[in-house]
Parts: sequence; C-alpha cells; structure tokens
Amino acid sequence: MKELICIACPNGCRLTVDEKTNAVSGNKCLRGEKFALKEITCPTRSLTSTIATVFDDCPVISVKTDGEIPKDKIFSVMKELKKIKVEKRLKIGDIVIANVADANVNIVATKNM
Amino acid sequence: MRREHFDIAVIGGGPAGLAAATVASEKGAKVALIEREPSLGGILKQCVHDGFGVIRYDQKLTGPEYAQKEIDKLNKNETTKFLLTFVTKITKRSSDFVIQFVNRSGADEIEAKKIILATGCRERTSKQIGVHGTNPAGVLTAGTAQNYVNLQGLMPTRKCVILGSGDIGLIMARRLTLEGAQVVGVYEAKSAPGGLTRNVVQCLKDFNIPLYLSHTVTKVFGVDRLNAVEISKVDDKMNPIAGSEQIVECDSLILSVGLIPENEIAKQLCVPLCPYTKGAVVDQTLMTLTDNVFSCGNALHVSDLADYVSESGEIAGAMACAKIKNRNLVNVTKNKNLLYVVPQKINLDAPLDETVFYFRVAEEYENAKLTIYADEKVVFSKKYVHLRPPEMERLKLNLEAYSDCHGFSFVLEVGV
Amino acid sequence: MSNIKKIQHKLKKIYPKIKVDEKDECVHLTGELDRWEDIVSLGQAAVSKDFVGVLNDVKLKNFVEPDIRQSAINDKKYDGSNLDVLIIGGGVVGCAALRELTRYDLKVALAEKESDVACAASGRNDGAVHVGIDLHGKSKKLSYLMRANPLYENLSKELDFKFERTGQYIAFSSWKYLVVGYLLLKSRAKRNGIKGMKFISGKKLKQHSPNINPKTKFAFFYPSGGSVCPYGMTIAFADNAVFNGGQVWLNTCVTGMTVENGKIISVQTNRGEVFPKVVINAAGVYADKIAEMANDRFYTIHPRRGTNSILDKSSVEHYGKLSISMYGNHKSNAKLHTKGGGVVSTVDGNLLIGPDAVETPLREEMATTAKSVNTVVDRQQDILPKLSARDIITYFTGVRASTYEEDFVIQMGRKTKNFVHAAGIQSPGLSAAPVIAQDVSDLTVKYLEQFSPVVKNSNFNPVRKGVTELRNLTLAQRDELIKKNPDYGEIVCRCEEISKGEIIDALNLPLKVDTVDAIKRRTRAGMGRCQGGFCQPRVLKIIAETVNKDYSDINKKGDGKIILGKTKGEE
Repeated sequence: MKELICIACPNGCRLTVDEKTNAVSGNKCLRGEKFALKEITCPTRSLTSTIATVFDDCPVISVKTDGEIPKDKIFSVMKELKKIKVEKRLKIGDIVIANVADANVNIVATKNM
Repeated sequence: MRREHFDIAVIGGGPAGLAAATVASEKGAKVALIEREPSLGGILKQCVHDGFGVIRYDQKLTGPEYAQKEIDKLNKNETTKFLLTFVTKITKRSSDFVIQFVNRSGADEIEAKKIILATGCRERTSKQIGVHGTNPAGVLTAGTAQNYVNLQGLMPTRKCVILGSGDIGLIMARRLTLEGAQVVGVYEAKSAPGGLTRNVVQCLKDFNIPLYLSHTVTKVFGVDRLNAVEISKVDDKMNPIAGSEQIVECDSLILSVGLIPENEIAKQLCVPLCPYTKGAVVDQTLMTLTDNVFSCGNALHVSDLADYVSESGEIAGAMACAKIKNRNLVNVTKNKNLLYVVPQKINLDAPLDETVFYFRVAEEYENAKLTIYADEKVVFSKKYVHLRPPEMERLKLNLEAYSDCHGFSFVLEVGV
Repeated sequence: MSNIKKIQHKLKKIYPKIKVDEKDECVHLTGELDRWEDIVSLGQAAVSKDFVGVLNDVKLKNFVEPDIRQSAINDKKYDGSNLDVLIIGGGVVGCAALRELTRYDLKVALAEKESDVACAASGRNDGAVHVGIDLHGKSKKLSYLMRANPLYENLSKELDFKFERTGQYIAFSSWKYLVVGYLLLKSRAKRNGIKGMKFISGKKLKQHSPNINPKTKFAFFYPSGGSVCPYGMTIAFADNAVFNGGQVWLNTCVTGMTVENGKIISVQTNRGEVFPKVVINAAGVYADKIAEMANDRFYTIHPRRGTNSILDKSSVEHYGKLSISMYGNHKSNAKLHTKGGGVVSTVDGNLLIGPDAVETPLREEMATTAKSVNTVVDRQQDILPKLSARDIITYFTGVRASTYEEDFVIQMGRKTKNFVHAAGIQSPGLSAAPVIAQDVSDLTVKYLEQFSPVVKNSNFNPVRKGVTELRNLTLAQRDELIKKNPDYGEIVCRCEEISKGEIIDALNLPLKVDTVDAIKRRTRAGMGRCQGGFCQPRVLKIIAETVNKDYSDINKKGDGKIILGKTKGEE
C-alpha cells in the first residue's frame, strides 16, 4: 500500500494505492486514479517556465510543456530553455521548441505577446 | 466639467474585475473597467505555473492562459477600458459616484451609478510580522520575487530562505530552484503548512526542499545585502524559544506570510470591513453595507483558487445589474470552529435561489460536521473527512424557503 | 588635593582597577571592564567642570570594535583635490554647514561614507522640532535650540522641506502634580525663554483626542513645538548646497589624516588623498575618532541607540493628530537622557512613537530588536492605551552621538588650528542644526580670513525646489502637469500615489543619487503599507533607464544589489 497526495487539481485528495492490485482509493474523481497509477510507475509532471526574448517590453515569455514529462527530465528541459531567445511575437499555443529534450512534448507559449 | 456617465464602474482588471465587467456588459450595462497596470489580468500575469481553471474550464491552465480566456470573454462585449489608470478618489454626489483618476492623458473623472471593487490583495511585509535586525537588500515578498523572475527575467537571489508556507512561497521555492537558485528551506511558524497540500508535494517534495514547521526567522543580518538569517523554533503560541537560534547563510529572505485584501478605496467610501476576512461585509449579492458598492475577488476575502475569484466577480457583476428594490438584511453567524463565512449578511429581498457561501475553518479538523440553520431550522448539513484552513470551502444553496427568517447560522461540530 | 586627585579618589572607590590620569586638560580613563554599562557609568562619573572633557579609553573585555562600515569602492576619484574646506559627515549638520559655506566663494566638499546623506542619526530620529523645556539653562543645546526654533517657517519654505508647527503637549495623569508641575514647568519655561505655555484641561484634550488615556487629568501645551521630515531637511540642505557649487562626495570615507605642527595637511579617503585648508568634523558617532585622527580629541562618543516606530495612518483617525508625552511616565527616564519618548505627529500624516535609549559599544548598530519596539509600545500605552504592535507599519533604530558631557561641542580645535568641531550632536541636534551650521561656517570663515579675504558668492541662491507631490494637488492642477509631462500620470507607488514623473524628478535633483532607498526618501515611493512590494521592480526599472545603468548595478543602498543576475541568457 502506498499513500499519495493527488496533485491533479487543487483538491489535494489523499490517495491510497495497492501496488499489487492497482486499486486506488480516496480519490474524488477519475483524474486521481490516473495520477496514482502513473505516480507509482513513471511519475510525470508538466513544466512551466519562461524563455528569454529580444523584446524590451517583454524580456521573457511564459511557456509550458504541452504534455507531461518524466520527473527526471525536468532539469534537462530547463537547460534547453536557457539556450534560446524568442525573436518573433508569439501567441498562446505557438510551439517554441518541438520535442524538447526528446521528451515527446513541445514547449509552447502561454502568453500573447 | 462634463463627465462620462456609466452604469457600473469596475475597479481592478484582475480575474474578479474581468468577470464582473464581462457579466455586467453581457447584461447590457454600460461598464467602465479601470486597471492601474498597462494590461489586464492582474496578478495572474506573473503566475506562470499551472493549475488554474480546473473548476471553471475543466482544464489545467497557466495564469497568463487563464487571464487571456477571461480577457477574450470580456472583449466579446462593449466595455470602456481605462488602462494604466489609477483611481485617486471616489466620492458620492447625489445618487451617483464620482471617480477621479489619473493616467498619462491627464487627471479626469467619470460618474457611475454603481461601483464594483475588485482591487485584489497585497502581501504582508517583514515589518508587519516583526522581522528584526538590519534593513538590507534581499528581503522581499514572494510576489515581488515572482514579478522579478517571471516578468522581468531577473534573479533576486542565488541562495534563499523562504519564510512562510503560503502558496506563493511554495510555488516560488520550485520556480527559483528550477532557475538554478538554492532554496535552503521553507520555514513556517505554524505547526501546519499554510498552502495547499498539492503545492507542498509538487513544489517542495519533488525538489527535496525541506519544510520546517514551528520555525521562524527572528533576525536578519547584513548591512547592504543580506548575508544570513537567524532561525528560531517557536512554541505553540508562535513565540520564539530562547536558545533554539541557528544562523543560516543566504543572500535573501523571501516572505510568504499572508495576503491582506486591498480596501483603501472601500475605506474612502466608508464601507464597513469584516475583522476576520479584512474585506468588506457583504450580502449574497456581494453588495457591501454601503449601498451600490459591491466587492468581489481577493478584495472581498483571499481565495486560494482563481476560479472562485472569477465566480465572485460574476456574482457581483450580475447582481449589480439586477433590480433589487429593498435591503432586508439578516445576519449570517458562525461558531468558533469557523474562521469566517462570506457573505456575512443575507438580503431576504434579493434572489435567494443560488446563494453561494465561502468559508474557512479556524484550525485543521478531521471528521467534522457542518450544519446551517435558518433560525432553528436545519437548512443544510454535510460531513467533512478533512478540513484545513488553507483550503477554502464553497457551497451553493437555495435559500428561497427561508425568506422570512431572522438569520442564518453556520455551526461546525468537530469529532463527530 | 589637585583636581585630578579628587576624581581619582572618587572613581577609585567604584572602579579600583581603572587608571585615571590627566591628558591634554581632560580626564583620561584606561583599563578594562566586563560590562559596557560600567564603562558608560564610569565615563559619566568622570565628568567634571574642572576639565575640558572625558577621554574614556577603557576597553570592554572580549570586545573587538568592528571596522567602520564603508563602501567597497576604492578609486582615486578625488585624489589630489585642493579644497578650502572639507566637511566630514553628511548628516544634517554637515549638509547645513556645506550650504552655509556656499554663501562664500570657497571650494567646499563634504565627504559622506554612505551612498546618501542622512543615513545615520539625521535620518533615524523622530523629527521633532523641540520646545526646550527639558534642557539645562546653561547648555549649548538650549542656546542653539532657542535660536533655531523660530527659523523653521522661513527655512522650510526656502528649501522646500516639510515642516509643521504642531505644538507639543506634556500630559499628567495625576492632579497631585498640578501645583508642582505647573511651578516647575513655568519657571523652566521662563528660564529657557519658552513662550506661550498654556494649561489644557483633560476634558479639552479628550475633545482633541477622544481615545487618549482617560486617566489623563491635564496637560501643558507649548506652541513652539514642531515636526519636520528629518531626512527631507538634510537632503534639502545638500541639494541647495550642490546647486550653489558645493560638492557632496558620497561613498567617501575618511581613513586617516596627516597632521604637522598643529595643522591638518591632508586627509586620506578610500577615493584618494585630499588637501583642505580647513576640516570640519561633523562625523556623528565617529566624531571622536576623527578628532583623534586630527590630534585634537577632548571628548568621547558613547553611542546610544533609539528605536522609533511609525503607526499606520489610520492611527491618526483614532487618536487625532498630536505630539504628546506623558510626564513621569513609567519609571523615571531622567537617567536615560531622553525625554522618555512620546508620540509625534509626523509631517507625512502618521503618528510616530519612541524613542527608547540603550547604551551600546557598537557605533553603527542600527539593527532593530523586538525588545526595543515592544518597550516603546509598552511605554506609550500610557498615553494611547489601545496602542498595539499591530498598528506599526515600520520601525527603525538610530544611534545618538552622545558625549559624557551630554552637550554639543561646537568650537575650533584646541591643538589643531585648522579643525572645527561639530560633535556631540544629539537631541535636540536636528532642531538646532541650522544654527549650528551658521556658527560652524562663521568659525571656518574667520579662520580662513586670517590668510586671505573671503568673498561672498554673488550667485548664491537660497531657494531650493524639491519634488512636487502630485497627490496633494487639485484635479485641475494635476491635469495641467500631466498634460505637460505624461509621466506624472503614471502611478508607480500605489500606497503613496507616487508617479513615474516624480521618481524621475528625484533622480534629477542637484545631489545625484540612484539607489532605491534614496529615491524612496525623496518621493516616499515604497514607504507605504506594502513597503515597496508592488513598486520596487518598477522603481528599479525607472532608475536603470534614467541613469542608463544595468539592473544589476542598481543598489538598494550602499553596495546592496537588488538583482543578482538574469534567469536566462547568462550561460
């Protein structure tokens, strides 16, 4: 039995997972079950950060991964974000880096510049 | 002077003000939205992390994305937006309010029949919690740190101590770690974390950042730039325990020690404030005790979710457009296990069918039972397995059946 | 018995291990003691009218005095400068003296070790313009104060700093003091030349301040009391001096002097060696150290800390606008060399409470303590019974530059001829500063005239304009200014309603400063209830843009950087 706190939404449900049967309890919704099962096998996170731009009025633009990445890839993705500088005005959802750090997710803008 | 006249003036263009202005203009009111910053969205603009909109949009959005959705909704209707505009004074003249403001075009005034205050909140400062010692560079609130890091791309620290485990503090602990700073630890004077449990997990545990409960910062060192802080253990009354001091070297002290509703304009309008929320006393329409002045969002009471902030903005916006002839106010009281209940009043002559209550508990409780009474009649009751002060609870009730009662009371029984 | 023998005899009984001898007509104390309070008591006990002063060189056991705090800058910017006058110390006396000397055609510079003027006691006091009821009849303190007090209306208009003639109350909590108190205070007022003392009934006082301690039976009112913005006044003197040709050298710390044949030849600083004809010692808590460098020490500074707290503006609504102290509150404060503190109505519309008085061997110990803040709250509850620590928005500690004689030292050097002392300036030093500066300037000019005539500066302009505060203007006046300069319409500091234009104006004042704290003191940006939480990033940006520096080169004060780098693009 493993106890977890669900981070899928702000409710923060206290979950219990039976590692043998994969039975999850304590969750208020399906997201909790999904989270628990992933957390005991391959924990993933979405990552949010910023990327530098060439524009004075907006020296950095906020970005996110458009899916979750394995927890242990967080810092290698952060390293990739430091390497580039945005040179054109972006909109929410525009891809800034495709398949970042081979994590099968894209880095997308989360702000309209 | 000829002044432009509006039905409703919304003060503040964060999530509460955006929702209020959107709903009011949808209902056909002539709305002015006044925002002191150059762009709309309020503090969401600097909240680049995700987790917003789970209730409102069934999606995990970042702050700027959530703000854009709200701005897009606003833009579907006609509103007059005043950006980079600062309200200096609001006065009542006959039946209208006169709003004086300044912006880069000049100093001017407009008139409005009704005012919606959506002025947000501010952070408590080091001096308000009695941090002593020198006054160097490197003492800043988590929100200020967030502004530097997320909007300006600037690093205010390389190695810091975070005092207080409020959500912004937890989120900044992660954010600064991601950007290469060392977070020595998060220190919390209370015996339980101040932020949401999920943030303790995903911001601290994920990054092995230690959380020290029942600890506080008692002294700051360094003349020009901070170079160390003194940490002390505290007793159950949160007083530092002599002899428990330890010195931690760092270049910054980042504070996340609470938010206070911003109500300077409300005070100008003589709006009575609630000692528990530090926001206005309101009825279920979110009208304050000053007629035709409404309050919503974090100016009303500090919420932990932007989704609830937007919801309260919508209520204020809709109710400011509703035709409510009379105010027949009864009290909403609470027992001591509850920190606060909003609204604090019910107007029995206003719509009662969709009354939304927000409440927080005074302490952490397990197996508690909430009962709401109208006079002696039970209106509602619910059992909670777990209630924590940082996590606000919300209820939507139909109170139409109780339109002739003398008051409502919230009673939380513990250990049942 | 000779005079020194008498003192030796007296001190031997209390401190047998201390060596007492005579040096340069002063009582010289050497040895070691375990407790600082004993060293202070010893110095106090050694004061005698038969001697010029007390040189207390007794060491505190296991204590090493920290180095003077100074800027990390080490350059030759001022190396080789020939000056008529060098003033050491940019407190209110130094800055006012600089301004006085710019009335003459002289080359004058002021060396200040910090990044702005008024960083020590001049900026860290209660801002009261004193009445003088508590002063000894023969003290220099009294004579300077009585000359200075009436000048404030004109001076504050001329130099555009905030001043208000608030008057001062001394309240009593028992009728038993009525006759004694009245006779004592009335005779003192007469002796000290204080006019207008008035009896105020408790009832009348309560009309003015309904929430005052109900036990207050009566009070005396002195209309000559006032309130000033202490750092604003110091900055105003410095600005006007710079405008008239004086120089203010910030981040410049005096490290040594070359003295030959009773004359200072040169002064060494972290920014080079300079050659002044006269040196003025306005070095505050370091005045005795500077006097020692000049080979002209005849007093000892024993630093005394005082902490003040500022209450939220709402406290004015609650208690009314009044400057008041309670007579004989708590235990007698007579020994503490403070009036016992009180409540001061500040020129910015807050109430201030304090200060306390704590002796310390640390000359620059401006760190605050919870104990001091609580002591002051506790004491002032005698006047404002509902006062609580929650009403406090900020607090600060200053260190008084007291001598054992507890009086001002304003005179030419005794051994060193081209040296002027302006030392021992503590309460009511701020109030007295304009006149101290006049006398210091007169002494300096008289000295210089021995060698060559000193002519007036025909271009001297006594008028200085500070930063216009837009929040106090009418809507129409504000509109007019914004139409001329749109930056006045962009509010940066929300709590105090300060515009971008005002911040740029502050950066363009004659005395050039570019730290965040310096701008805060000139505009109030960051002084409100959020203490700069919202505006600091924007103030930083405006400073960086206006003075054309990188963000990471802007300091809060001194060498204290706010920004340590960038999140991105710094690999």
